[in-house]
Formats: sequence, structure tokens, C-alpha cells
Amino acid sequence: MAEVHVIGQIVGASGFPQHSLFCKWGVHTGGAWKLLSGLREGQTQVDNPQNEEMASWSHPIDIHFATKGLQGWPKLHLQVWHQDSFGRCELYGYGFCHVPSSPGLHELQCVTWRPVGSWQDQLSQLFIGGGVQLKNSDLIYSGADRYRLHTSAMGTVHLQLGVILRHFDRYGVEC
Amino acid sequence: MTANPSVFLLMVNGQIESANFPEFDDLYCKYCFVYGHDWAPTSGLEEGISQITSKSRDTQQNFVWNFPIDISFKSTNPFGWPQIVVSVYGPDVFGNDVVRGYGAVHIPFTPGRHKRTIPMFVPESSSVLQKFTSWFMGRRPEFTDPKVVAQGEGREVTRVRSQGFITLSFNVVTKDMKNLGYDTTTADLQNPSVSTVTDASYRT
Repeated sequence: MAEVHVIGQIVGASGFPQHSLFCKWGVHTGGAWKLLSGLREGQTQVDNPQNEEMASWSHPIDIHFATKGLQGWPKLHLQVWHQDSFGRCELYGYGFCHVPSSPGLHELQCVTWRPVGSWQDQLSQLFIGGGVQLKNSDLIYSGADRYRLHTSAMGTVHLQLGVILRHFDRYGVEC
Repeated sequence: MTANPSVFLLMVNGQIESANFPEFDDLYCKYCFVYGHDWAPTSGLEEGISQITSKSRDTQQNFVWNFPIDISFKSTNPFGWPQIVVSVYGPDVFGNDVVRGYGAVHIPFTPGRHKRTIPMFVPESSSVLQKFTSWFMGRRPEFTDPKVVAQGEGREVTRVRSQGFITLSFNVVTKDMKNLGYDTTTADLQNPSVSTVTDASYRT
């Protein structure tokens, strides 16, 4: 069986309207993949940058997969949330990116989007915050029912992911 | 020379070069390594404390430590790849030693020269009153064990403020990773990893 190690960090995020952000992340794989060690999902700390425009999390990711096939290559999905001074959490963006398929260190910028509701929702969001969220978070990384959604763009999440592959050349895989 | 190695080695040397903290002065740093269960250090120092340095007088206002790092690990599994955790401390207005930032980064796994600039962050007090008393008494919120910074679990309950950056440089050498079947760069996959030792030493 071939093995894949994903070793890296969710570095931080930029381009969001406010500071005090945190990120919930998870990795989704196909049926042929098995998680050998590491956490498949997690949540970063809440960061409020002092002098910078970019929120920095430096959240470590260390996952070890074994796989029997190339289908269902791991996808990292993210949800960026904002925590205000009252302790309420508001959704700021959804995003996903595939784990790179070539070995080495990769710098990734994952773009995010937020669902947009009706004009009444937008008006109340302007005054009291909140806003619409997805009921089913599978939609973040699947394209199946996306045509029903209306979204707007939010900021970018910066990731630094290193990929180590093992035994891929035994099976004749070029990546 | 073993034909079928079971462990691979990672040798890292480098330095904690410099830092950029716009608001503070007279800082020193501590480093330590965090690694998984399959890893063991074979030589070198796992921890260290640097000298105290002051800001440079020019416009860049850098702190320079030039503090050497030298360590080797052996392991059977890349899971738990070592991370270096750096904590920076300095005096506050009353002269107490308070923490100015924590940061962590994985040791690079491709052989060669690497430079990393990492952001540093500090835990925040939960309320304004606590913030004032901690400023007044000189006991700021800090992590009881800096190794927490290198882990992903339990971070969702912490609120932090990021301030400052630190620059580290590394030289990385690995041994027997290719022989065990691990590919860390795309170039490795052009040349099959199964080969005799004599072939490997004469290949250009």
C-alpha cells in the first residue's frame, strides 16, 4: 500500500473584514484511503493581530494516510469564523483545497466564500451580525448541489503543506 | 553499510537568526524540539536559551541572536516530524520577565538550505480587568508548557494576539529516506528508490 504524509501548517488568513478569526479545518478522503495516524480535523486558536493585517494561527497539521488507489485524493476543507468582543461566533467563509499530489513543500492560498441570503438577511447582518450558513458542510468540498447557492467572496487562507509520498514509484505512479 | 535500513536519520543545523518586534526591547529566546513517539534525538541539544539582545539603532529595528541549533534525530516514521518551538521573553515596564511571543514551525524535510519567518503570538487575558491586573502585577498569561504551541489539540479554547516575527535558517540532511521508499521531492520519483548502495554512491 502506498502512503502519504501531510506535514505542514495552516499559517493564517488575510483579506477578511475584521480581525479576531479562527479556522475549523478537516480533511476528507475517498473510500480507498485509511487514516493511520494524526488528527483528521481540528480548530485553530482565535488570533487578534496587533500590528499586522494577517491573522496568524501557525496551526500544525501532521496526518499519515495509507491508500490503495488514487481516487478520492485528500481535500482540506476550511471554515473561517470571527469571534467578536461579546464572544459570539460569526461565519466568515468556507473554502477547500486539495492536498498537493507532488512531494515537497507547497505554499497554498485557499480562497473563501460566504453564502449570501435575501436582502432582508443582508440588512439584518449589517446591523446585528450573523448571516446564513450551510446546513450541510459537505457542500464546501463537493460540487453536487452548488447550483442552488448564491455566494460572495471573502478573504484568503494561507497554508504551507509538505507532502511526503512512499512507495508510489513501486506502482508506477508519476507525480 | 546496511542493505535494508529500518531507520532513517535527520540532521539539522542552523540558527535562530533575528526577530522583528516593533514594540519591545531587550529580548531573549528559548527553543525546544517537539517530536512524535517514533522519533528520538541521537545527538545535539534539544533545548537552549539565547543571549539578551537589544534593538538595532537603524530604521529596521531588528533583534539579532545568531543562536546556533544543532541536532540529529532518528526515526522509523515521518509522522510526528520534529517541530522547533521558540519562545521569546523580555522585561516589562516594571522589570519583570514576561513572555513576548511563542511560535513553532516544522523542520523542513527536503535536504538543503531553508529560511523560515514565523509569526509569534501571545495568549490574551479573558477580560479587561484581568488584562490590567496582569499588566500591573507583571504576571502575564503564558502557556505552562511551551510545547502546547506545537500541537493541534486544545487550541480552540485559546485566544491569542500575534505580534512580531522570528527568522530561522536551517540546513537539512537526511539519510536513508529514499532507501525506505520515502519521496520528499519530485526529482526522487524519476530515479527509483530501490538500488544497491554502490550504485547510489557513483550515480551523478
